[in-house]
Amino acid sequence: MSEPGGRQGAKVSRRILLKRIAVAVASTGMLDLASGQHVHKAVSHQKERTGEYTPQAFHAGEYETLQRLSKLIVPADDHSGSALDAGAPEFIDLLSSQNEELADIFISGIFWLDREMGRRQAGRFKDASEEEQTRLLDDLAAEADGAEEALRGSRAGVEYAGFMDYTARTDRRLGPGARFFVWARRLIVDAFYTSDIGFEDVGYKGNQYLTEYEVPQEAIDYVMERSPLGTA
Amino acid sequence: MPPLINTAPGIGGCKPPLRRPLFLAGGMCLNSPVLEVIRSPKVYDVVVIGSGAGGGAAVQVLTGKGIEVALLEAGPMLDPEKDYKEHLLPYHVDHRGAGEGGAHYFGRQPWGFFRAPNGAWELEGEPYTVAPGSEFRWFRSRILGGRTNHYGRISLRFADYDFLPYSMDGLGTDWPITYDDLAPYYDKAESFIGVTGSIEGIRSAPDGIFHPPPPPKAHEHLIKQTCTHLGIPCIPMRRAVITRPLNGRAACHYCGQCGRGCITASNYASSQVQILPALKTGKLKIFDQAMAREILSDENGRVTAVSYIDKKTRTERQIRCRVVVLAASACESTRLLLNSRSSRFPQGLSNNSGVVGRFLMDTVGLGIHGYVPALEGMPHYDTDGFSGGHVYSPWWEWDKKNKEFPRGYHIEIGGGFGMPGVGSFQGQVNRIGGYGSALKKRIRDEYGAFVYFAGRGEMIPNNLSYCELDPVTVDKWGIPVLRFHFKWSDYEWKQARHMERTFVDLIETMGGKVLGHRSPRVDGKGISVPGTIIHELGTVRMGNDPRSSALNQYCQGHEVPNLFVADAAPFVSNPDKNPTLTITALAWRTSDYIAEEMRKGHV
Repeated sequence: MSEPGGRQGAKVSRRILLKRIAVAVASTGMLDLASGQHVHKAVSHQKERTGEYTPQAFHAGEYETLQRLSKLIVPADDHSGSALDAGAPEFIDLLSSQNEELADIFISGIFWLDREMGRRQAGRFKDASEEEQTRLLDDLAAEADGAEEALRGSRAGVEYAGFMDYTARTDRRLGPGARFFVWARRLIVDAFYTSDIGFEDVGYKGNQYLTEYEVPQEAIDYVMERSPLGTA
Repeated sequence: MPPLINTAPGIGGCKPPLRRPLFLAGGMCLNSPVLEVIRSPKVYDVVVIGSGAGGGAAVQVLTGKGIEVALLEAGPMLDPEKDYKEHLLPYHVDHRGAGEGGAHYFGRQPWGFFRAPNGAWELEGEPYTVAPGSEFRWFRSRILGGRTNHYGRISLRFADYDFLPYSMDGLGTDWPITYDDLAPYYDKAESFIGVTGSIEGIRSAPDGIFHPPPPPKAHEHLIKQTCTHLGIPCIPMRRAVITRPLNGRAACHYCGQCGRGCITASNYASSQVQILPALKTGKLKIFDQAMAREILSDENGRVTAVSYIDKKTRTERQIRCRVVVLAASACESTRLLLNSRSSRFPQGLSNNSGVVGRFLMDTVGLGIHGYVPALEGMPHYDTDGFSGGHVYSPWWEWDKKNKEFPRGYHIEIGGGFGMPGVGSFQGQVNRIGGYGSALKKRIRDEYGAFVYFAGRGEMIPNNLSYCELDPVTVDKWGIPVLRFHFKWSDYEWKQARHMERTFVDLIETMGGKVLGHRSPRVDGKGISVPGTIIHELGTVRMGNDPRSSALNQYCQGHEVPNLFVADAAPFVSNPDKNPTLTITALAWRTSDYIAEEMRKGHV
């Protein structure tokens, strides 16, 4: 028979919690979002220690390919860094080291890329020129997006279901290269936008501690001035 | 060093495949001989089964009156400080919220990694079945607080006419109570749990006792203007979030992460707001990991004890009591009654009418996204507020004659600069296509320029939608499981088409482009998959006639006077208003009645 979670427990922890928030607010004016500073990150930890990340799921050559893909799919621009800077290869490696099915998708996909690059010219994908790499990715994107366009009807259910689980298994009707491209793009894009670099890139401003919630008048004015129904 | 945060109990993670359902040879085996049953020497005043909205209200009201309560919860205890991930950002965890092994990408983490412990569509070892030709999904919680830990917290009173559906249009059945019977309990519920809102005087959205609502966000100004133009009301959201301190709970700090659970209990969850505080009365004993199996009754038809499986020791135990309050969620309560058979109740406890399991309803759901150029380039600001829209549209055609479908729906509204997470931008990626700098720029430019409209509408109960015991399948403790039958009727399909036209109108009137707009007549495309709005209810309905209802107007068994139901199973209809506030009010009323009947010595 269980003892309930402690008569004192709930009260004490609530008090500690409120105190912690008060301290965070006093010191920074907002919640210490990165109470995160003390959340250890295995990846960065290892990076610091060795200066170099050692992939768990991929061989060095495969990992280099992931690094290359990360730079090509979300490149650096005048706003922000690339998906490589945002840790996309580490992200994919970590998940793949925990999930063979995912590791297989990436390993087989990289094999496919290398073979296709070898067919087009000698050498593996990672060693090809940026121009050659881009040409191959362009072809894959064209197939993937063209097919996705055609498949969109069968996907509408996902959008309508709204809160339903979103299963990102890629449609089997795509060729293996295009199918892999969709997987790689999905994880690399996610890795980028879930990083501090990605947050900065889109300009997310939320998850703050506020005593009152206010909407800036300039934002309201901006929208209402552009309303097709007029500002009235 | 392993990552500090990797998996959470109850959600996410790479789960092993579902255990195959167990089959009993030779059909059903109820009352199987139990080798050793541990009986409690103590007789509790009341056993409450389930700790969600209904169980929470019952625990709060009964212990508040000095009544000794034993609470059975099929899941573990909740420790908000440890279990909630309220303020974490994706990059504070190595898997960024994709879950261990990228569970998100394989559909194994439908609610996201950061969500409060809640439950799942599939529970390992606890199957349910769906009859051929039907589709139904059943979301079940196994945690103290149940689905109130994560739910949307939209808190809408039923309108006066919602209690009289048959009188209004000849469909369904009238409730045995009126709005006036429940109004004082809506007052109590709102005052205690705290609900935002404004006084509007709209018949389809009765006013209540409200905390000040937060102001509309910039895109909601545009939506409100568009609604007004189309003759649709758009008013401040009524949500169970407190914007002023209440009973020692801090006011909302607008981090926008309500669904993750709130460490300051600024939103309502039965766990934090009712049950953990009730422990301080000394009148409450919680039995967690306790899966109720059967309600035992004597030859006089009175409940004497509840039999449950203690999951931690895998032993069967019995707990004796004077009264049982069933609040296990509508279908789980139904299952328990159907599994509680005796010579006096061969069809299940309090089911000589045969209505237990009938009249299963969910909410009609449909959602459409739009891209709105007027929002493009808007100065970025914190749009999190309290989670979800700050405004909504109550139903506006309740008095219209000759509608093409009966009853109506309300509209929930989304938009803003939401927190990026895994999957956040995949819709854009699919639509824009390609890769590289061009894709990156488009995503940045379009961020915050989307709106979302979701309809939540009333279903008419029908004879093809019900649940019953599966004749062969049992769960891992040998308890027979439910089998669901479900069909939307033309009423619901027509309503969904009305939603679709309305949302397209709204989006196009504000100069937007409708996205992913399809309406084939397939569940999940033109209308929500049954069960997925998670408003399943109505299967132990109340009424004045014992031949057509299982419970009287106090949710007391017609045939079993010391049995009460306090979740949404007693609902006679499923108005468009989200059910939780009415669960709370009805459970409160039932609990007041129980206390009074106990005082008088009637039960």
